Amino acid sequence: MGFIGGCNGVKVTYSWLKKFVDIKISPQELAEKLTMSGLEVVFLEKRGENFVLEIEITSNRPDWLSVLGIAREVSAITGSKLKTINFQEPKIKRKNLRPLKISVANKQDCSFYSARIISDVRVSPSPEWLKDRLETLGCRSVNNIVDITNYCLFELGQPLHAFDLDKLSQKEIRVRRAKVDEKIITIDGQTRLLGPEILVIADTHKPVAIAGIMGGQETEVTFKTRNILLESAVFNPALVRLAKQRLGLQSESAYRFERGVDSEAVRNASLAAQELILKLASGTPSGFRSLGVSKVTHPVINLDVAYLNKLLGTAIPVFKVKQILNRLGFHLKTKTRNILVVKVPGFRQDLKLPVDLVEEVARIYGYAQISQTLPAVKPGRKVLDKRDVIGNIKNILWGLGLDEAITYSLVDRDLLNKSGINTDAGLIEILNPLSKEQEVLRPALYPSLIRALAYNLDQQQERVSIFEIANVFSGRLNAVAEDSLLGIALCGDSTFFTKQGLVREEITLLHLKGILETLFNRLGVGGFDFIRQEDNKINIIINQKQVGFMLDLAGQTLGAFDIKNRQVVLAQVNLEQLSGSINLEKKFLNIPKYPAITRNISFAINEDIPVEGLLTAVEAKGAPLLAQAKIVDYYQGKQIPVGFKGLTLSCIYRVDDRTLTEGEIAPLHQDICSLLEERFGVKLR
Amino acid sequence: MDINSIQAQIEGDLAGVVSVQALEEVRIKYLGRKGLISELTSSIPGLAVEQRGTFGQQVNTLKNKLLELFEEKEKTLKTKSSVLKKSNLDIGMPGIVQELGHIHPITQVIDEICTVFNRMGFSVVQGPEVETEYNNFTGLNIPLEHPSRDAFDTFYLKDYSKLLLRSHTSPVQVRVMKTQKPPLAMVVPGRVYRPDAVDASHLFMFHQIEGFLVDENIRFSDLKGILELFAKNVFGRDIRMRFRPHFFPFTEPSVEVDISCIICKGRGCSVCGRKGWLEILGAGMIHPNVFKQVGYASDIYTGFAFGMGVERIAMLKYGINDIRLFFENDLRFLRQF
Repeated sequence: MGFIGGCNGVKVTYSWLKKFVDIKISPQELAEKLTMSGLEVVFLEKRGENFVLEIEITSNRPDWLSVLGIAREVSAITGSKLKTINFQEPKIKRKNLRPLKISVANKQDCSFYSARIISDVRVSPSPEWLKDRLETLGCRSVNNIVDITNYCLFELGQPLHAFDLDKLSQKEIRVRRAKVDEKIITIDGQTRLLGPEILVIADTHKPVAIAGIMGGQETEVTFKTRNILLESAVFNPALVRLAKQRLGLQSESAYRFERGVDSEAVRNASLAAQELILKLASGTPSGFRSLGVSKVTHPVINLDVAYLNKLLGTAIPVFKVKQILNRLGFHLKTKTRNILVVKVPGFRQDLKLPVDLVEEVARIYGYAQISQTLPAVKPGRKVLDKRDVIGNIKNILWGLGLDEAITYSLVDRDLLNKSGINTDAGLIEILNPLSKEQEVLRPALYPSLIRALAYNLDQQQERVSIFEIANVFSGRLNAVAEDSLLGIALCGDSTFFTKQGLVREEITLLHLKGILETLFNRLGVGGFDFIRQEDNKINIIINQKQVGFMLDLAGQTLGAFDIKNRQVVLAQVNLEQLSGSINLEKKFLNIPKYPAITRNISFAINEDIPVEGLLTAVEAKGAPLLAQAKIVDYYQGKQIPVGFKGLTLSCIYRVDDRTLTEGEIAPLHQDICSLLEERFGVKLR
Repeated sequence: MDINSIQAQIEGDLAGVVSVQALEEVRIKYLGRKGLISELTSSIPGLAVEQRGTFGQQVNTLKNKLLELFEEKEKTLKTKSSVLKKSNLDIGMPGIVQELGHIHPITQVIDEICTVFNRMGFSVVQGPEVETEYNNFTGLNIPLEHPSRDAFDTFYLKDYSKLLLRSHTSPVQVRVMKTQKPPLAMVVPGRVYRPDAVDASHLFMFHQIEGFLVDENIRFSDLKGILELFAKNVFGRDIRMRFRPHFFPFTEPSVEVDISCIICKGRGCSVCGRKGWLEILGAGMIHPNVFKQVGYASDIYTGFAFGMGVERIAMLKYGINDIRLFFENDLRFLRQF
């Protein structure tokens, strides 16, 4: 569950607790004290004169799933003595009933089974007090017999079940696994298909109950029932949980059995129920049979009080530790001054190690009583700087006006199909998705970004520029590879507010390229290049290796996402591959001592001629006086013939050891102009 | 007249110009359609062939130089005038700026928390989202019969037996401890997955931050101290804290930590369910069985671990009432952070 996870609750009432322990504090104070000792009271409600406490019970403490269990804790916290009631086995008056036969097929499945026969009961509605108690805890009243079994479950934590004895064929009980395709109609009226992994209670012919979970309708106690069989048993927790999950069936009984019941209290619970039945429904005790072992081992743990104080950072005296353990019902022997030999009760099977007792002591002593200290944290080794790089990238993109998105790593095939990704093979599927949206682990980032972008366009956003950094997944042999990717998606207009008016321009691949160039430059990535692979796809190359791509979404894909009259550009970069090229170390270069001379050349050039080759040629020609050649203006429209683009090339001449003169650069600049005209056919403007 | 003296003459003219209008007159005189430069250019064809090239270049250079000079002068004049004249700038007009983007609130909360721990000497590490059953459960002392082992609480992968989507960030503890020796002080942020039905407070994917400290003599009181420092840094100096005993299979003793409700200051409101307390994290001393799994001697080393849900903390900090907003990526949401 991690450190965050739900727990199930149990309800008890203030007055019911008082049956087992004297409480001198108010219900509010009691709730506070329970909460601070590990039984979080999530709800305290006044019902008439009574108070209902709803308590969250952690999965390691099945012994708290009863009024008695909570009372035991109240006794430990407050120091009031616990009042327990031990019942005696009554005299059995044998009547003319067939002797009861019980068999358990496998002791592993059911370590203890007991059955008690009570004859000539009068099944009737329960008295008000009983109905009240059950209904306060949210349990529906059925009849006095069923209600008594439930009452004992809530009070003592032992689930019981009453069968109509006369409906059991041959009056026989067989605890066994269900056969393939065997069926039972449970008391909720549902037909349940069983199987060999499910433990059942059967008679000679058929299953009559799903062990520890729910009884069958056919043998349930009704107002016509005369003789009953009262079951009190211990079923294997793992089996109960498995069956519960297989059948999708939850019950108060299953809830307790899957966590483990107190074997040693099974018989007492059965006697308590019998006594109540005799009282409320008369009847005669007419037989008792049991099979298996109800005794369990009582763990013995050596607790070193010095160890306890060292681990907690406390100085709790030995006598105080002893007092707490005694109140919890543990038997102590003192071995040496600091070492206690602790014998744990049978219902605390969760305690195995000394550290478990440390928690018990700390809990009752009070976490609040433990002081706060600060450890000497030794500076850790730098294990991973990937996160720093990611933080850096996020900051750069944020500075460039992009918004960070976080999308789900689980996606539906449909989304991938719409984005043009083949979903026939190679995807990593989820075995147990709750919905179609969780079908597969995504192999790419950009489909989710297109969806987020389309969603925002739908919300009437004029411009969407988003990015995400997250892992994508791919299968490699028997392993799953995870790659950290950067995805960027842009759509809409880029606008500039100027005195000449608002300049509005649709975002294109060049905007995206600008973002990536800035990013790479800032990360100190050298040797990157953008190479057109297809008409609308540009590969991003770093040191001759492809690390990602830019995409101008095709009309078909836009249509699939219902994006109309818009251009969407996106990029995906593999950060694992990029990271090797990142160099954040800075090196100072001398600031040029001598001024530069800048000469601009404006010209029109055939729009099919790529600028890159032109710049390379100019740079080659201009070396070594030409320090830099760059495009500083770009124009298409009036004044430029169709099929041409208007460019302004800026030539910056500079050397490191002197100021260049006009005379030195004039012939060179003229050569560059000639080169442009002759080699690239430009028309100077 | 030679080119240099022409330039000198023009520079003289420019020096005398004091207004934008006067500058325009000078500009027309030299650079206009019928100005001096244009005259010089049209004289080129009349020159001897061998002179044309050099002279042409000189004229071109002069022209470029003049353009620069005029531009510079114009700037000077305009700047001056704005100083001298009463400004007609309407400061009520929208400012002109390149808009910044926004970092996702989840990232911001993760960064804030990691920074607090960084300052205390913890390093930040990460681990894979696809995990082994061992790292996610067995290595963390979560027994076979523990409910969280069931497929109902964890996404399993088809065709990859024993692989799953981590349901918490704790497996990174196992990974780190299997490969490194103490002292360790680390925080681990990351995505985790659970097949929970989606509603305003549950999602099948969310973020956690795990932290752990392992060394000789680490005590429960140290856990309290570190967490108090963390909570006060993130939620404010005046919050109160409460440490409640709890159960986690991989820690013993275990604790759940509440802070006084940051909305109602502990008086009780709808956010804290009238309790006055908000549960913010789970923690505890690392269980000796976990140390056993990774081969640490638990009689030498002790340590603590803690884990928290990032979305929950972000929701509390920003007053967000629906967890689904985080991953809808509506710009009207993202741009608020």
